[in-house]
Amino acid sequence: MEPIPKILKVLNWITSALFVVALYMVLFFAPREAVMGDVQRVFYFHVSAGWVGGLAFLVTAIASGVYLARGDHRWDQIALASVEIGLFFTLANIISGSIWARPIWNTWWTWDPRLVTASIMELVYIAYLLLRQGVDDPDRRARFGAVYSIVGFISVPITFLSIRIFRTIHPVVIGSSDPAAMSSLTMDPKMRVAFFFSLFTFTLVYVTLLWHRLRLQHLAERVEQTKMKVLSA
Amino acid sequence: MLLQEVPVNTFNYMLLGFSAILGIMALFLISLVVRFRNLYRDLEQLEGNDVNERTYTTGF
Repeated sequence: MEPIPKILKVLNWITSALFVVALYMVLFFAPREAVMGDVQRVFYFHVSAGWVGGLAFLVTAIASGVYLARGDHRWDQIALASVEIGLFFTLANIISGSIWARPIWNTWWTWDPRLVTASIMELVYIAYLLLRQGVDDPDRRARFGAVYSIVGFISVPITFLSIRIFRTIHPVVIGSSDPAAMSSLTMDPKMRVAFFFSLFTFTLVYVTLLWHRLRLQHLAERVEQTKMKVLSA
Repeated sequence: MLLQEVPVNTFNYMLLGFSAILGIMALFLISLVVRFRNLYRDLEQLEGNDVNERTYTTGF
């Protein structure tokens, strides 16, 4: 087995410790919201998961752009790894949002612009993986994937801005003082601390997972190369 | 007293929400571990084959 780099080992420990602290903060440190009750605590991780989703897709778009410019396959690997993580976190965001909506909006799902654009974004990136599966030639696969992910990235700012552009019942968290926001969520100082701590922790979780996912990609390539060597011997 | 506002009891929904988020994250971690294991197993088998092949060819 290939040894895990020391920095990654340290990162694993720091991320795990911060995650436990974040969980403590959202469950015990942050006060209970007066109207929504305990379910509001889900919001800290719900928004953080959404943030990681958007960040992951941004990294994919940037890595894809660099791949197209330089033709270095390592950037394609970063793009692929990042999409996978982004999909999991966006799924967590959508499902936790639906669970929050049940007692607050009295429904699991409504055709609200934010919910629809987030789901479309998820589907856009599932299609990215399907597109890659359908192309055998590695160079063409990387090129098609890169172009698709750059175009597909349009879905990310649309999702972010949907609560400002369209009429929606989804609360605005970041920039809630914006007059364009139909409904907003005001946080007291303790809530704000828990919120930004969760955001930071989830960002670190993303970095750690991306590193592990890239190691997996390298291992897969090594297996492929060994397979070719054995077959050609 | 009767008009005092009390937060709605949404504790079970909170549990469900956190279970969903942590469950999905755990699913990704498990998928990583399983894929790592499978690849290491493949690599061991292939390198074993490679060694046998070399032994076979040099043996003649």
